[in-house]
Amino acid sequence: MASSQHEQVLVEEKSFARILTFNRTKQLNALSFQMISRLLELFLAYEDDPNVKLIILKGKGRSFCAGGDVAAVVHDIRAGGWRAGANFFMKEFTLNYLMATFSKPQVSILNGIVMGGGNGASMHGRFRVATENSLFAMPETALGLFPDVGASYFLSRLPGFFGEYLGLTGARLDGAEMFACGLATHFVPSAKLPMLEAALCAVDSSDPAIISSIIGQYSERPPLKEQSVYNRLDVIDRCFSQKTVEEILSALEREAVDRREGWISTTIQTLKKASPTSLKISLRSIRVGRLQGVGPCLVREYRMVCHVMRGEFSKDFFEGCRAILLDKDKNPKWEPSKLELVADSTVDSYFSKVKNEDWEDLKLPARPKFNLPPYVIAKL
Amino acid sequence: MDRAFQRTQILTNHLLQFSPPSPLSSNACLSYSPPELSESYAFDVKEMRKLIDGHNVEERDWLFGLMRQSKLFNPEEKGGKVFVSPDYNQSTEQQREMTWKRIEHLLERGAFKGWLTEEGEEIEMRKFAGFEVSSIYDHSLFTKLGVHFFLWGGAIKFLGTKHHHEKWLRDTENYSIKGCFAMTELGHGSNVRGVETVTTYDSNTGEFVINTPCETAQKYWIGGAANHATHTVVFSQLHINGTNQGVHAFIVQIRDADGNICPNVRIADCGHKIGLNGVDNGRIWFDNVRVPRENLLNSVADVSPDGKYLSSIENPDQRFAAFMAPLTVGRVNIACSSVYQSKVALAISVRYALTRRAFSLKPNEPEVLLLDYPSHQRRLIPLIAKTYAMSFAANYLKMLYVKRTPQSNKIIHIVSSSFKATFTWTNMQILQECREACGGQGLKTENRVGHLKGEYDVQSTFEGDNNILMQQVSKALFAEYMAAQKRNKAFKGLGLEHMNKPCPIIPSQLTSSTLRSSQFLMDALCLRERDLLNRFVADVSKCKSEGESTQQAFLMCYQLAEDLGRAFSDRAIFQTFIEAEATLPAGSLKDVLGTLRSLYALICLEDASYVRYGYLSVENGASVRREITKICSELRPHALALVTSFGIPDAFLSPIAFNWIEANSWSSV
Repeated sequence: MASSQHEQVLVEEKSFARILTFNRTKQLNALSFQMISRLLELFLAYEDDPNVKLIILKGKGRSFCAGGDVAAVVHDIRAGGWRAGANFFMKEFTLNYLMATFSKPQVSILNGIVMGGGNGASMHGRFRVATENSLFAMPETALGLFPDVGASYFLSRLPGFFGEYLGLTGARLDGAEMFACGLATHFVPSAKLPMLEAALCAVDSSDPAIISSIIGQYSERPPLKEQSVYNRLDVIDRCFSQKTVEEILSALEREAVDRREGWISTTIQTLKKASPTSLKISLRSIRVGRLQGVGPCLVREYRMVCHVMRGEFSKDFFEGCRAILLDKDKNPKWEPSKLELVADSTVDSYFSKVKNEDWEDLKLPARPKFNLPPYVIAKL
Repeated sequence: MDRAFQRTQILTNHLLQFSPPSPLSSNACLSYSPPELSESYAFDVKEMRKLIDGHNVEERDWLFGLMRQSKLFNPEEKGGKVFVSPDYNQSTEQQREMTWKRIEHLLERGAFKGWLTEEGEEIEMRKFAGFEVSSIYDHSLFTKLGVHFFLWGGAIKFLGTKHHHEKWLRDTENYSIKGCFAMTELGHGSNVRGVETVTTYDSNTGEFVINTPCETAQKYWIGGAANHATHTVVFSQLHINGTNQGVHAFIVQIRDADGNICPNVRIADCGHKIGLNGVDNGRIWFDNVRVPRENLLNSVADVSPDGKYLSSIENPDQRFAAFMAPLTVGRVNIACSSVYQSKVALAISVRYALTRRAFSLKPNEPEVLLLDYPSHQRRLIPLIAKTYAMSFAANYLKMLYVKRTPQSNKIIHIVSSSFKATFTWTNMQILQECREACGGQGLKTENRVGHLKGEYDVQSTFEGDNNILMQQVSKALFAEYMAAQKRNKAFKGLGLEHMNKPCPIIPSQLTSSTLRSSQFLMDALCLRERDLLNRFVADVSKCKSEGESTQQAFLMCYQLAEDLGRAFSDRAIFQTFIEAEATLPAGSLKDVLGTLRSLYALICLEDASYVRYGYLSVENGASVRREITKICSELRPHALALVTSFGIPDAFLSPIAFNWIEANSWSSV
């Protein structure tokens, strides 16, 4: 009972499994408002359907999902004001929360690009399968945004201060690195994916242990590349545990003197190119998120994203989208242009309620009070 | 609705044979329901946290994060969540080494930057926040840091002069040297003026000679001395040309850079303790140890190269008081950290009480949540109110300290003594109640609540025995009274201005709204303080007129002194609550704080002194009691929000605060 080929989310029903496929290959499966709405609808329906025990998410083409359709959001804001943008994120974050607290396991097959909103649609689920084609990034700070979609929850839970590194620099990871740091729960060579899918479709259980052992049958322990940054976690910890972005940068610069390693200077360059405001609010968000459950993380991120869309404190998001997505000159002019010009009080403002009539904090959808699986309860 | 839903779920599971993944999870009879999903927040918990933490919230979260993300802080996964807490099952030696490694880790990450080399309110408040956070992880970590920075570092700072500061402060801040503080002796604790260590001056060599003349003069409980410290401040009598000039402080190196004990110094261990085993408490004997003349901390007094004693303070009492300065900030720190232990224990036991059920009211009904029992509410919710009150009082105390002037030293001494004693005693009561409220689970070390009792018991003794501190409070109030009477002047300071006004009158009928009015509550607290001060003065005067010395008279009137000390503390704490409440705009936050404020004061009114001295009639006492139970049930829906506002991250609570069923499941064995 496959749905029409024009649909942006394809749905297949296989016994107790449901396979949802992102089908917007031209845009690398970037999440449109329509896709988010459709996913929400499907997940809500599956929650109460005793015939659904497992959800598989994958992408058509070379991308799992390259993120939220930010270009469309900017277009909507230009046409209808910031609330149009806020609506997009409200829906997206609601979906993220639903996935994070879903009573049935979600298996995401990350056989390609998985960035930004794509991570929001997969990292909150119970199983994330990486392959040799996986390419991970949370590149928001280069765009004048910040790692959202619940990233302050899932990045902050990575080992040491790797989450700060990924969130601030937008660094890319391959499948082996995703597996090593825990972003992926499994690594399966893409050649084995059809077999894995078939095996999962034969499952009639929601028990994570059973599903894990099935995926385990096709999994490998991929070797990390020798130059992988994940082998330099000690340096990353030393630098990215610093209190402020400025101190992180100077720590990196000190390391660069001692150990002339290419990735350090690349990291410094990337940080210097990113929006100063974005860097500061991202760091704060990840730090606060580390101490919060997934719900409060998304509520906070929604406040932040509304402030970004309103552009009251900084218009970097619009400038970033212009430079990266629209004009593509890759030369954004950030304002404020330097870290030291971003006041702490401005950073604070991003975490406060939006002072706007009839604006409200994100309302998290109600979740069943009993019989949620333990791995969900632990995230609340 | 919840109960109905749960029952339907259970029945459905039975009827439909909900395909069991393993035989053990098939029976869903007692499933864990996270309180987050059934309780709602009627006020902004982040705003509340900001208010009660009072300062440096971001700094606190950064420090929490540093600990949460490091393997050195012993992260363990239980029930799907990560908890950080020391492994108290390690040997004493291992625990000491781990405490040191954790300090090293925080040092490398810059956690102590500026603690001794920067000046001003900002850094002092940051330091307080850092200490509070360290205490939430582990009391040994807090204590070892406190000894090094506040006692050793503080002694250098307050008792030393410029050349000491230049020589020692930076090296202390970056731990090039490790300091300890040798004040207490086997024979003398609170009575520091009686220490028996003796120092003489040798003008031929320009050296001081420090000696332990007898066994009771051995330095005792010296944190850091047993393993790590390289230097110490020794408190010793100073004998110059046969005259004892009283207690003075000297710097002595006790270990070399390789950790070998220096010649003429003997060190032994204090052994295993009921808590704080991550601190290497030791005993020190000095066998005529020679130190250069410059090692006298000479801000108060000095000895010239040819051996003349010089002091800017003539009065030996005042000179001694000046030497005690480093202990004041220690008391502030102890008071503040004890409040955070109450927060940890209450957050854990309230969360447990919101998920653990016991007994059904009718057959076949679900069992009742612990916190839905009025008796359980009555046990825990007043303690929440006390903890809020202590939080505001702690913030007041910290501000009083950082804004200190030479004129405010006396007030700081009295308030810090009173709050230190009151908070640490209250904390122990709270820990015990919370331990019992968690039942058997409270006995597991991993659940923290019970273990904290052993760890924090010492707070009622160090930096001043609580009973002695409270005696000093009463004596100080006595002195205020006498001074006001003698000069025929109004009371000013310490919140005693109410003594100048007419005596408040308690209405014979107490309505609910009267019992919740801050004016009435303040009147009731002032009335007791005023009357007890009058009685205390009268009794002491009576003793004296019968020929007793003033000191003897104080000793005879100890019961009134204790009641008065408590009356002062309760009223002073309440004052800070009212002031914090007054800063808030009308709204949900102010509403709930108003209720807590009333509850706090009503609990104080339940103290036996109100009946003992007849401030409340039996009938009034019954009204107070009734109102307390009413408020407890009103606050029940806010319980989760109130403990969430304490701002203790999940990882610093314990498994029973979360999914304790999963944490104890067979699969986790």
